[in-house]
Formats: sequence, structure tokens, C-alpha cells
Amino acid sequence: MKSKSFEGFMKGIFIVSAMMSILAIILICYFIFAGGIPFIAEYGVKGFLLGTEWKPSNNPASFGILPMILGSVYVTIGAIIIGVPIGILTATYLSKFCGDKLYRVLKPSINLMSGIPSIVYGFFALTVIVPIMRNLFGGTGMNIVTASILLGIMILPTIIGMSEASIRAVPQSYYEGSVGLGATHERAIMTVVLPAARSGILSSVILGIGRAIGETMAVILVAGNQARMPKGILKGVRTMTTNIVIEMAYAADQHREALIATAAILFIFILIINATFLIVKRRSAN
Amino acid sequence: MKKIFSLVLVAIIISIFTIGCTQTDTPQGSAETPTNDFDASRTINVVSREDGSGTRGAFVEIVGILEKDANGNEVDRTYEEAIIQNGTDAVMTTVAGDKYAIGYISLGSLNDTVKAVKVEGAEASSENVQNGSYKIARPFNLAYKGELDPLAKDFMDFILSAEGQAIVVEEGYVQVGTDLPSYEGSGQEGNLVVAGSTSVTPVMEKLKEAYEGMHSGVSIEIQSTGSSAGMKSAIEGTADLGMASRDLKESELAELTGQPIAMDGIAVITNNANPIEDLTIDQVKSIFVGEATEWSSIE
Repeated sequence: MKSKSFEGFMKGIFIVSAMMSILAIILICYFIFAGGIPFIAEYGVKGFLLGTEWKPSNNPASFGILPMILGSVYVTIGAIIIGVPIGILTATYLSKFCGDKLYRVLKPSINLMSGIPSIVYGFFALTVIVPIMRNLFGGTGMNIVTASILLGIMILPTIIGMSEASIRAVPQSYYEGSVGLGATHERAIMTVVLPAARSGILSSVILGIGRAIGETMAVILVAGNQARMPKGILKGVRTMTTNIVIEMAYAADQHREALIATAAILFIFILIINATFLIVKRRSAN
Repeated sequence: MKKIFSLVLVAIIISIFTIGCTQTDTPQGSAETPTNDFDASRTINVVSREDGSGTRGAFVEIVGILEKDANGNEVDRTYEEAIIQNGTDAVMTTVAGDKYAIGYISLGSLNDTVKAVKVEGAEASSENVQNGSYKIARPFNLAYKGELDPLAKDFMDFILSAEGQAIVVEEGYVQVGTDLPSYEGSGQEGNLVVAGSTSVTPVMEKLKEAYEGMHSGVSIEIQSTGSSAGMKSAIEGTADLGMASRDLKESELAELTGQPIAMDGIAVITNNANPIEDLTIDQVKSIFVGEATEWSSIE
């Protein structure tokens, strides 16, 4: 009898634990949209999403977040251009070419990369990449390229980890079959094994995009944070995440609502990215 | 075997860090002595604070970057290309790391990693803020409607006394007078509501602590709502005293009496390697609205 009630009690605990994350996501959704939607409705969807001016201290103030949306998109594209080729090639090397000894060094160091706090990455970029960019191209050194390089480095562990796993998951018979037909080791991997792992690699890229678009503390240090339409890859930029963090401390009334509405838009972006990830993953499972 | 490798890896990383640290020491050391390789044809890298910041609000208003037209519309004309940093420390780090940068911070936070330029020939110092020769300064005001009741009057006396002003100076701000009477506490009790500026709130908290320590029967409530909201509360009578981190506007002066209780200077800072010593208010303005974009154009 006693053990039965105990079992019921434990069952309850497990269910509550399982429900916790769902509850958290519902609360976050509610808070973000309850705070953001009324403002967007009042200000106008078009003016908010497509407005090119973000000037909260003007009277009347203007809250257009198109510069920040484009900023997030540009910086993320830059990170993909830099991070994806390096990441996929590294994953291929790790899973198919790398010797055992080197692997034991490489793998832990890549894992270590994902454990470094983002503010440390940011500080690294501020003291190393920014001065280099300033010397090479003049200006402030805080621009889209700098932020892209930084984010490209930061998404490497995500891309390498998932790509490597999916390359390793390709049945050995694919490789053996192509080698048996006369392909070299390199050709078998590049033309048979990698394409077979493509949906896993694509998922890793999508997760990388999610990480890049959501990154804040590192980007804030090196992007320059100018709230105007992006003017070129060697000019500063402000992303949606940095816009929220930078101005939240002092924002009041309408300004604060505008920042929560920015968070709502960012949330929708992340939802789209995650949905794409799920679709790609499901397709690969079939 | 795996353990040994990870240990070796950690050792390598630590050595990289130490090498990195010793290397960054060198440029900092050389930056302290004014160097001749300052290239005046380079662009001015303007560093500003984020929208909504009290320091930015005061700076743009004093320097004239904020433009108002007859309809009451206000336009903050801060240079679009200005780097935006969200904090005094972030502005200082950016300016300290960039030879061609210029920024502004609260005078109380200034240290020798950056150089404060003279404005209109006056050095950024507490004395110059106090005697009015350093122009970029904002008052912290307390405002009240009509006559002060005895408790509020006594609290005001305390703030303006030598003891109260010592707290102001301790908090890094500038006192409003030199020849201050010492405070003679008269037994007060009751409640007092003080509302307004978030910038004044920290120093007001300290003043409240000290005052409540002297008068056990007094309870002071501080509401940190922002300068404009504080003035509104004082006019409506929901607060006994309103706090403002700026001068009172004309519409407010029609209803309220203002009393400055402290001054806060805003220092214009450049990199230590920058040879420029002195700027006029107009030059500061033209830099921060983006009219002067090269260092050579302001010499």
C-alpha cells in the first residue's frame, strides 16, 4: 500500500518535471506577445516592420526595426559564409581523414569551444579582430565583417558536432561500395558519403543560423550598434538582439513596449528557423 | 591517455592566454606617452550612448545636438555612424582602445585610461563645474510646489548643509556651494514622498539613509520614475519633492520652485594618444552631429 502511494507520488513528480519546460515556453510566449502585439497594433505593422528610422528620443518618436532586421540577417549570412565551409570540411576531416592521435586532441578542443561563454568570444574579438580590421580598412573596425567573423567562429562547434555525427551515420557500405567500384578514398567521401549525409549537415547549418541570429553579448561589443539602415559590409550595424539589450535599461513607456515588440519579432524568426529544422530532420528520418 | 591529452591541451591554452596578455601590455604602455604617429587625416570615430540614457539626454541638450522646433518636435541629431555603447565602462573601453575615438561619460567615472579634453578652455574638474566655467554640466534639481512643509524644509536644509553635501561629493558628484552651514537637526517626524529622476535616485537613497538615521520618526519614500514623471508628481501633489537630473522646463517653473542639490559634469573623452587638448562647444557639437568627420578639420 505504502509503495503504491509512493509510486503515485513519484509519478506526479515526473509529470510535473516534464511539464515544467512546456509551462516555461507558454509563459514566455504569453509575456512576449502580450507585451509586444498591442504596441505593434497601435504603431502599425507596416511602420514597425518596414520603418527605416529608429529614433526613440525624438518627439514624436519613430520605431522602425527594418535596420535591425536587416542587420541580423546580414550578420547571420556573413557568419554562414565564414562558418559553414570551415565547419563542414572540419567535420569531414574529423570523421574520415583524421588520425586517431590528432582526433583525441581536436575533438576535445572543439567541444571546449562550445563551452566558452559568449562574452569571452566578444572580448577576444574586441581586442584582436577589431584592431586588425581597423588597420586593414580604417574606420572604427566595428562592422558587419568583424561581427560575421566572430559569429562564424562561434557557430563552428554546432556545425562540426552535428555534421560529424551525420557523416559517421552514413552506412559503411556506401563507402565500401564506391571504393569497390574503383573510386579513391577522397572521391568516395566527397561524392558519395557527404551527399548521403546532406540532410544532417543541413540541419547543423540551420542550428548554426539559430545560434548566430540569437547571439547578443559578443555581437554588442564588436558590431558598432548604429541604429540606421546597413550601409555596407565595412560599416557598423545593429542586430535585433543587441537593440533590446542596449536600450532596455533606461527605456520607459512606449520605448519599452517597442523593445518587447522587437523581441516578439525575434521570437518569430527563431520559431521559423526551428520549424525549418524540424522539417529537414523529419524528411531525413523518412 | 585521453586525460594526458586534455591536460596538454589546457596547458597550451593557458600559455596562449599568458602570451596574449603580455603582448597586449605593450601597446597600452606606449599609448600613455603622447605619440607623434597620430594621423589627423583619419576619421573621427564617434562613440555615443544609447537612446534613453540620462547622460545622452543631458549631453545632447547642453551641446545643442537636440533640436527643437516651434511645434515642440524634438530631433536628436547624433551622428548616424556613431558607435553606440550601453554604459560608461563600455564607452571608456572603446575610446581607450581606439586612437581616433571620442566619447562622453559622467565626470565621476573618469580615470586615466582615457583623456578628458578641455571644453572652452576649462578643464573637466569638480571645481570648474562648480564655478560654471566647465559648460557641459547638468544640475540635479529638487522641485516643490508652493511652500515647503516643515519636514520637507528640514530635509532640504539637511541636503544643502555641509553634511548633506559631503554625501553628494562621496557619491562622485559636485557640491552646489562652498560655504555651507552645518546641519542642526530639529526633531522631525512624519512621511515624505520624493519622486523623479533615476539618475538622482542613488544619491537620494544615501541622503535618505543618513537623514532617517538622525530622525527615527521620519520615513522617506523614494520613487524612481524619471525626471519628467517626478515633476508631474510634484505638480499634482502626489509627491512632496520632485527630482530632476536636468534644468526645469519653463512649463514646470510656472508651477514649481527648483533647488539645485548637486551638479554632475559630463567629460568629453579621447584616447590618451590624441594630441587634441581643447575643444569648443561648437566643435564638440559638429563632431557629434557628424559635420566634422576628420580630426584635421577641427584643428
